[in-house]
Amino acid sequence: MATSIVVVGVGGQGVLTLARWIGEASLSEGYDVRIAEVHGMSQRGGSVEVHVRFGKVVYAPIVEEGGADYVVALEAVEALRAFRYLKPGGVLVVNKRVIQPPGRWISEEELLGSLQRSGVKTYIVPAADVARELGSVMYENAVMLGFLSQLLGLPMPPSLDDRNREAFRRGARLPV
Amino acid sequence: MRLLLLGNEAIAYGALASGLAVATAYPGTPSTEIVETLVEFRDRFVHWASNEKSAFELAYGAAVAGARSLTAMKHVGLNVAADPLHSAAYTGVEGGFVIVTADDPWMHSSQNEQDTRWYGVQAYVPVLEPSDPAEAYKYVKLAFDLSEKLRHPVILRSVTRVSHVRAPVEVEPPAPPKWGRFTRDVKRFNLVPANARELRKALVEKWEKIAELSADFITVEGSGDVFIVTTGVAYNYVKEALSRLRVDATVVKLGMSVPVPRSLRNLVGGEAVVVEEGDPVVEVQLRSLGVATRGKLDGYFPRYGELDTGKTALGLSKALGLPYSPPQPPKPPIEPPPRPPSLCPGCPHMATFYILRLATAGLSPVWSGDIGCYSLGINLGQQDLITHMGSSVGLGAGIAVAGKHFVVATVGDSTFYHAVLPQLVDVASRSIPLLIVVMDNAYTAMTGGQPSPSRAIPVEKITEALGLPTFVIDPVEVKKSVEVVKKAVEIVKSGRPAVVVSRRPCALVAVRKARRAGLQLPRYQVDPDRCTGCGLCYNLLKCSAIYRRPDGKAYVDPALCVGCGVCAEVCPFNAFKPEGRREAWLELWQQA
Ligand code: SF4
Ligand code: SF4
Repeated sequence: MATSIVVVGVGGQGVLTLARWIGEASLSEGYDVRIAEVHGMSQRGGSVEVHVRFGKVVYAPIVEEGGADYVVALEAVEALRAFRYLKPGGVLVVNKRVIQPPGRWISEEELLGSLQRSGVKTYIVPAADVARELGSVMYENAVMLGFLSQLLGLPMPPSLDDRNREAFRRGARLPV
Repeated sequence: MRLLLLGNEAIAYGALASGLAVATAYPGTPSTEIVETLVEFRDRFVHWASNEKSAFELAYGAAVAGARSLTAMKHVGLNVAADPLHSAAYTGVEGGFVIVTADDPWMHSSQNEQDTRWYGVQAYVPVLEPSDPAEAYKYVKLAFDLSEKLRHPVILRSVTRVSHVRAPVEVEPPAPPKWGRFTRDVKRFNLVPANARELRKALVEKWEKIAELSADFITVEGSGDVFIVTTGVAYNYVKEALSRLRVDATVVKLGMSVPVPRSLRNLVGGEAVVVEEGDPVVEVQLRSLGVATRGKLDGYFPRYGELDTGKTALGLSKALGLPYSPPQPPKPPIEPPPRPPSLCPGCPHMATFYILRLATAGLSPVWSGDIGCYSLGINLGQQDLITHMGSSVGLGAGIAVAGKHFVVATVGDSTFYHAVLPQLVDVASRSIPLLIVVMDNAYTAMTGGQPSPSRAIPVEKITEALGLPTFVIDPVEVKKSVEVVKKAVEIVKSGRPAVVVSRRPCALVAVRKARRAGLQLPRYQVDPDRCTGCGLCYNLLKCSAIYRRPDGKAYVDPALCVGCGVCAEVCPFNAFKPEGRREAWLELWQQA
């Protein structure tokens, strides 16, 4: 059986890169893998959604609604949007970061609180904070990847540069 | 070498391994990365053309002369190239000629859904349909060989979930390019009626031969009396749906979906369930062979959107009368507010729209839009129609002719060269009154920044040559530009066309260059004591780095601001304050 992951966030956050890293790590473990990217209308600021599936043999490139083992959100509003992909017993992994959608201001507490009370197993990961400690919010996807490696049992992908390696390690040490 | 490749990259590598010499395209999602990948290979002729017809003709001509050539486009792009496509089937080619089209079911980045395979049926061009990146790689090579063997063009039809899927692909090194030399054959290449009539007869005969060859592309898996005929990406959903439904079936996968192999009729014994992505193209062909089908025509599978494992399992269960309960998607604890695609922070189009709004105040213009980043002006209420490449000036002129509207046609530089040039001739020769605004950001930005011809050939040179009064502005100079645009508006009000060229390169490209040059961008912040919460910046300018705080005042996300300074020009209360200096940045930006 394949593991199905939906990775979401906002354009410019490195959603595609995170998904690609998960794919690379799976490949290095000898799994078959499919990563379905959608290159949408805008380069920055819109919702981005990438599907990753890995396992012994994988056919379908996309995850259906109600079919994801994991939803990984680099941004909390997008976690709400991808919620519908979760299968019963599926796990939500959210970066502790809110990028306000245009014309609305949602408080972080309200948002994260509602996710935690939703009845779905939810991990809130302080990836943005850790990344800022490392010098730039640019590293938040690598921190998330490190955290995920604990859940997915995947190694560090080979292509990371030094800064991202460090970010990965910090994520991999965050308590689960 | 096993690489994790995007389907489009796999197509490019497959073409290289086949000895590709000439590759052409006009960028369009989801097809862009094919030629983007090939551009790196300097020993071949690789070209971003002004539109798909031009791209098609370059590759077709090269193939006529015996070179191995490829042209790539999205589904709607093939409409632009439809004219030469139909002729190409009559003349055939000498070197392998592969036309790659990437369809976009459910319109992730397109104005309509369209199934390219109908063009195969209509133009008598065979269609190969890979199911994933590894197969895409393999099929390009097969397509080149087939094309050369038949001396006939071949379409390779991809879809979003093949082109934009990454998967492991085994890649061989590139083969040396195969160039050609034109051999005169007047009867074959001159499609005057006397010749074309002979070629038409030959084409219909050839088609029967191709329909036999199509059987070489069949693969059969599984066993059982239930026959499922599938092709392309749908095959993957069938595989997973069958294991979910636990049913034994014989899966017949067609590598060539147009024309369907005639022998299929004997193979499936006169009855089959058909699963395909897009329109019922295989299904219609099968029915015409006398095979009873269950598929999209009877509503077992939807005729819009993409398939997935769930929809496929549901459709199969209905068609086969099996019990199945689909997974129930959970509801989020809060309804997520929409996050529509928006112009990048600092995008010059944002300022141009603002300038246009001020300069046309009181005229309530019809905003005739076009395909490109500026179509996001829809969020600003400044795009009333967007239908296809070139619709801005084309439909805009029609609206101006129809009645007393003040029409503003907004078009990007790339689209200008793609589809607007002939229309300008009509506008100029009949002096149709509309304001044509060319938003020249020097790139085809929406697809990631391919070069546009506007650098080599400035837009104003062309419009002036046509006798159209033309004004050039820099949109970051908001106040100055408004005055200039007002002059153009006066000309249009007097009943004549006028052109404004709003020139500043794509902000994304410029920011990338600044980073590489180590230049620190200025950033703007709102002084909350000065901000009155009037909302001009976040409601009318709508820079996506500016938020409305709960108290109504503006707030700039420092991580997003690129320091264009337009907000500072717009705010009547002087609330925006820069950190850092703007001159060097604007200078570098203009050169980007
Ligand atoms: S335009 Fe100026 S005053 Fe008005 S909301 Fe924006 S910052 Fe505040
Ligand atoms: S300077 Fe102002 S308008 Fe330009 S990106 Fe920053 S916030 Fe937006």
